[in-house]
Amino acid sequence: MSDPALLSLAEARSVPPRELLQACRARIEQWQPRINAFLAFHEEAGPGVPLAHKDMFYRAGRVSSCGSKIRRDWVANETAAVLERLDAAGFADLGRLNMSEFAYGPTGHNEHFGDCRNPWNPDCITGGSSSGSGAAVAARLVFGALGSDTGGSVRLPAAACGITGLKTTWGRVPLRGAMPLSPSLDTIGPLARSAEDCAILLQAIAGDDRLQEKKELRIAISSAWIERNAEPEVAAAVLAAAKTLDRNPAEVEPPDFDTLSAHCLVVMQAEASAQHAQWMRERPGDYSSAVRARLEAGYAIPAASYLEVLRLRRAALERFCAQVLGAADVYALPGIGVRVPTREETGPKGGERMPRMLADLTRLTRWVNYLGVPALVVPCGFDSRGLPLSLQLVGRPFSEALLLAAGRALQRATDWHRRVPA
Amino acid sequence: MTTSKQWSAEAVEVVLAAQGIALAPGRAERLARGYQALLEASAADPLLARPEFDAVPAGFLLAMQKCR
Repeated sequence: MSDPALLSLAEARSVPPRELLQACRARIEQWQPRINAFLAFHEEAGPGVPLAHKDMFYRAGRVSSCGSKIRRDWVANETAAVLERLDAAGFADLGRLNMSEFAYGPTGHNEHFGDCRNPWNPDCITGGSSSGSGAAVAARLVFGALGSDTGGSVRLPAAACGITGLKTTWGRVPLRGAMPLSPSLDTIGPLARSAEDCAILLQAIAGDDRLQEKKELRIAISSAWIERNAEPEVAAAVLAAAKTLDRNPAEVEPPDFDTLSAHCLVVMQAEASAQHAQWMRERPGDYSSAVRARLEAGYAIPAASYLEVLRLRRAALERFCAQVLGAADVYALPGIGVRVPTREETGPKGGERMPRMLADLTRLTRWVNYLGVPALVVPCGFDSRGLPLSLQLVGRPFSEALLLAAGRALQRATDWHRRVPA
Repeated sequence: MTTSKQWSAEAVEVVLAAQGIALAPGRAERLARGYQALLEASAADPLLARPEFDAVPAGFLLAMQKCR
C-alpha cells in the first residue's frame, strides 16, 4: 500500500500515528483548496488514527462556529461527550469541518465560510448539513468524522459523497456538548469509508455494539414505489443492491413518506425556531437568507399541532415496525431518490425549480427522524455522470449493529465503497 | 366535518410580530402558503384518530423499547 491515507480505519490502527498524520496532511494540502472541507485545523491533533468533526461538537477552550456568522468566534466552555469518548478511545482530531449554517440545510451551501464541494465533482453539492464530514471522508482526508442527523444530515452527505453514514436511534448517542437544533429529532452518528469503520466509531461513541452476524437477512422493500418515484438510475442501483442482500425480499406497502415528513417538519421547525428565537429577534441579519427563512417558518406552528404530532409518534413507530418491517429485519430504499444535484441548481440562484429539488433531496430521510429509528446509508453504484448512488437501510430502534452487519455484507459483495475520487 | 381556514399573510405577520420576529417584505405571503400546506399535510394523517385521550408524547420512549 503506497498511501496509508487510503487504508480503512480498521487497517490504519496498525500503522504508526505519525505516518497516518503525514499522509492525511498531504491529502488535505492537495484537496482542501478544491473542496473546502475544513474550517480550521487544530495545532495539536493528538495521537491516534486521524478524524475530524462537524464544527458543532464543542471542545472546551476552542471555537465552535456551528457554520455561522453568529458563532464565528464563540469559544465553548465544555467538551462534547462524543469527543471525550473518541479522545479516550485514542483517536486524533485534526480540525473543525464545514457544515450548513446551524445544521439547518440539506445541501452543504454556506455563505459565511464558503460552500463545501463534492470531491466527485466540485460543481455538485455534498449534501448537508454534515457537508465537511462527507467531503473529508470521501476524499480520504480523514478516516472518519462525526455528523448530526435531524432530518437527514448524516445520510445526505454520505449518499452524495459515496461513503457510509449511520443515523443512530434517537437517544442512542449522548447529545451533551453538541449544538442543539431540534432536540426531539437530533441524533449523532459516524460517517466513514465502510460499515465496518462506522461500527468502530459507533463503539467508541455509544458503547459496545459489535457487528452481529446474521445468517439470513430479511429485507422489506417497496420496489414498485421506488421504480415509480426514484430516477431510473437510482432505482436500478437500489433494487440491485437490495437483491444482493436478500434474493427474495418481501414486497411491502411503503410508509407514508410525505405525511411522516410533514410531521417531522412540524417538530423540527417549532423546535429550531424556539432554539433561535433570541438571535432572530436581536440579529436576524446575521443569518443567511435561506436559514433565516427556514427559521421564520417555525414561529406560527400552533403549539397544539406540535404536541399532537409528538403524541402521534408512538402510534406511527408501532405501525412502521408492525406493518412495514413486519417479519423483515430492515426496510430498503434509496438514500436520495434523485441524482446528486449541482450547487447552482440548489443554491440561492437556483430559480423556480429549487424548492422542488430541495424537497426531493430530503423526501426519503426526514420520515426516519420522526420515527426515531436508525438508518444506514451505503454506496451502491455511480450514475452516468460519475456521481455516487446510495442504498438506505432502516431498522427497528437500537438495531444499529444489525444495520452495520447488513452494510458490511453488501460491501463484501461489492466494491463501490472502495472507489476514491481522483 | 369542518374545513380549515386559510392562513393569511396578515395573520402570519401578526403572529410573528407578537413574538418580536420581523419579516422581510413579501415573506409573510410565502410563509402563509407554506404553513397551509404543511399543517394540512400533517393533519391529514388518518393515524391522528388513533392515540387515546391519555396518550402523552413521552409514550414514544416506551414504544421504542417495545419495538426494539
